[in-house]
Amino acid sequence: MEEVFPEVVFSLFRIPVRDTVVSTWVMMALIIAVVLIVRRLKPTALELVVDFLADFIAEIMRRPADPFLPLLGSLALFIAVGNVIGLVPFLKSPTSDLNTTVALSLVVFVAVHVYGVRTMGLITYLKSLASPIFLLPLELISQISRTISLSIRLFGNVFSAEIIIAILFALAPLIVPLPLQGFSIFTGLLQAYIFTALAAVYIAAGLPNETEEIKQKDGENEFREYINNKLESEPKE
Amino acid sequence: MVDMDPGTLVTIVTIIVAGVGIVIGAIAPAIAEGRAVEKALESIARQPDSAGDLRTTLLIAMALLESTAIYVLLVVLILLFANPLLDRFF
Repeated sequence: MEEVFPEVVFSLFRIPVRDTVVSTWVMMALIIAVVLIVRRLKPTALELVVDFLADFIAEIMRRPADPFLPLLGSLALFIAVGNVIGLVPFLKSPTSDLNTTVALSLVVFVAVHVYGVRTMGLITYLKSLASPIFLLPLELISQISRTISLSIRLFGNVFSAEIIIAILFALAPLIVPLPLQGFSIFTGLLQAYIFTALAAVYIAAGLPNETEEIKQKDGENEFREYINNKLESEPKE
Repeated sequence: MVDMDPGTLVTIVTIIVAGVGIVIGAIAPAIAEGRAVEKALESIARQPDSAGDLRTTLLIAMALLESTAIYVLLVVLILLFANPLLDRFF
């Protein structure tokens, strides 16, 4: 049961380093190695992953995914691999440590404002945050609470799955924890999906929604053309 | 309650509160999620074309609803494994 909680392995310049950080390093090395090997052997496989992520992000944000793909795609890959790597012996999920998930959601928190300022300019972005002015406190509260909820959701899911597996392992160590470990793979991937989707929604909410207006106008024009065609094709009295 | 030392009392109260809390915290999001899925299924049955859009929205909404249960779980875990009140007695 005690193995579930992160422990301090060693101190680096008086900063305590936990075993989750060590497994993060192992994970980073693993991802880079896999990418380098696959890039040499079968580049289309990587293309498949990038295309899938780009489509997924574009579908949620309803705009071209190119400016957001580096951040959101690497978030998705990091969390997906991080949730699953806890099943490897001697390694621990980096996301079962609250520090990791808080760091990830702080990245999202900063990214929302960076993308907003970059597209609108500082003054316009600040104005859009406070319009009308009495909604500013609510906006601030929602910014903070969504950051907290983003981190705690990921941490709670991964950590509770590990605790349940540890308890079952203490009760019946032979085969019983296996189905739950399979289920924890599923929830881990689902949580990576949800974290990325929510980050995309939050970033998209901080941007001006110009694409939708264009789409609506296009729809209106098509409708008008359709009506006009119909009116023209009908025989006049 | 006769002559119980405060540490034991806090432990007992903690365990009871953790049990009751996780029960309530699991019931409420379960009902809410059930309603969300019910409505989503109804609208998919009515308009099968909108299934793609609905699936994305439903997953995000379910994640938001699910997080209330996870907050409760986190509070319960803190109470059981890292209770700040118990450190005063032991």
